[in-house]
Amino acid sequence: MKNKKNLTKTIELGYNLAKANFKLRNEGSYLGIIWYLLEPLSLFIIIILIKGNIGGNPIPNYPLYLLLGLIMFNFFKNSTTLATNSIRNNGNLIKSIKINKEALVLSTVIQFVFSHFFELIILAIFMVYSDLSPTSLIFYIPILFFYFLFVLGISFILATLGAFINDTSNVWGVFTKILWFATPIFYVLHKGTKIYILNLFNPITYFIEITRQIFLFNSLPPLSKIVPLFIISVLTLLIGLKIFQKYENKFAEEM
Amino acid sequence: MEKRIIVKNIRKKFKLCKKDSSFLGRLLSFSDSEDFLEALKNISFEAKEKENIGIIGSNGSGKSTLLKIIGGIYEPDCGEIILNGEAIYLSGFNNGLKSKLTMKENIFLIGSIFGLSKRKIKKVFKRIIDFSGLERFLDVKINKFSTGMLTRLNFATRINFLKNKECDILLLDEVFSSGGDKNFKEKVKKEVDVIMKKGATILIASHDLRLIKDYCDKAIWIEKGEIKKIGNPKEVVAAYEQYSSNIL
Repeated sequence: MKNKKNLTKTIELGYNLAKANFKLRNEGSYLGIIWYLLEPLSLFIIIILIKGNIGGNPIPNYPLYLLLGLIMFNFFKNSTTLATNSIRNNGNLIKSIKINKEALVLSTVIQFVFSHFFELIILAIFMVYSDLSPTSLIFYIPILFFYFLFVLGISFILATLGAFINDTSNVWGVFTKILWFATPIFYVLHKGTKIYILNLFNPITYFIEITRQIFLFNSLPPLSKIVPLFIISVLTLLIGLKIFQKYENKFAEEM
Repeated sequence: MEKRIIVKNIRKKFKLCKKDSSFLGRLLSFSDSEDFLEALKNISFEAKEKENIGIIGSNGSGKSTLLKIIGGIYEPDCGEIILNGEAIYLSGFNNGLKSKLTMKENIFLIGSIFGLSKRKIKKVFKRIIDFSGLERFLDVKINKFSTGMLTRLNFATRINFLKNKECDILLLDEVFSSGGDKNFKEKVKKEVDVIMKKGATILIASHDLRLIKDYCDKAIWIEKGEIKKIGNPKEVVAAYEQYSSNIL
């Protein structure tokens, strides 16, 4: 019972902090919310232009294929990157109040759920433009939920590391760049290639592929693909939380 | 009377990080000469219900560390702390206010950090504004505030939220000596009185010796992480004053 109350409190605080921070990041900039969309959209345009020049790509609805990959990876990258510094950035708070630290990490991920929604709106517009029904977006809700759990788990681990080791954010920055190229965002995986085997161990790829199947091909992926992925997400969260909770009482001294 | 706080043999060491504390630097430095500061050595005391305890000592003696450990912000290296009730640490300096949000938004933010629901925050909202006397600046971003205004806002929010929370142990760290004019300090004292009358145990760390003498039932003098004297506030303060004047 007490645990349940704690959980509601953590979620409430995480949500409020996320709202405040989301507002904060849009304050004082003229384009506000558009900045969130600028990065995926500029990448989108560049890749489309390059591919157009190379010519002949066999993927149907390539712009949608690409945009979906971009925004899904973007959510992962942005959340985890900010989470790495989430403890350090709130050092003052942690030192002055006994604060629920899980909520700090949670709030960074929720923040990017907000911006993810704006990206999804753009995606929906593209879908209408490509004669695809945006109603399939409904199926994205459960996927996003488990994707969120997965990202949150990774965020907890990174937040813990980031509180003790300064270099974590640099290392993670390089790692996500490499991962961006390793994940089939702008290309298609071919069976048997090295990168295909590598991606068998990349949960993000599974998330993106499942969503593509629903959005672009209007078919539900087999349960044998969905269930293990959802189990991995929950496990990642549990492990991340465990690590975080083991060390969270030491954070205040490190600030 | 019920015992509210039992502190048994608390010790706390802080690592003194050398300048070159990057991972690579640590890996390459062969001499593993880690330096420690013993902030608290073997501290034990007890506090009863409705008791007011003053904590005095020179700068760096370990007052704040002790309160932060009781408040659950730091973890002790060893020793035991038994708390009967919820403890809240309140510091006069650090605040968690966000400089780019307005006063109103900050109040809601701090409220939710305190674990209050939106409905409860709304209930206290008016009181906070009256208390701080900053009604005109409700929608102003607080980076435009002066230090005095910030102190007032910080306090008004925290004290009023405290009253709406079950708070059995209040840990006040230099609360009365940070900014704020006489008038405001009186207001703060009044609020603390109200919390006290509800039966809370209060620990006050302060350099304001008169306050300790007037307010507290018991005083603890800490020096270099050890309890030098504990007991009647007048006697403890006198001993401390003599010690300080000897150093001078």
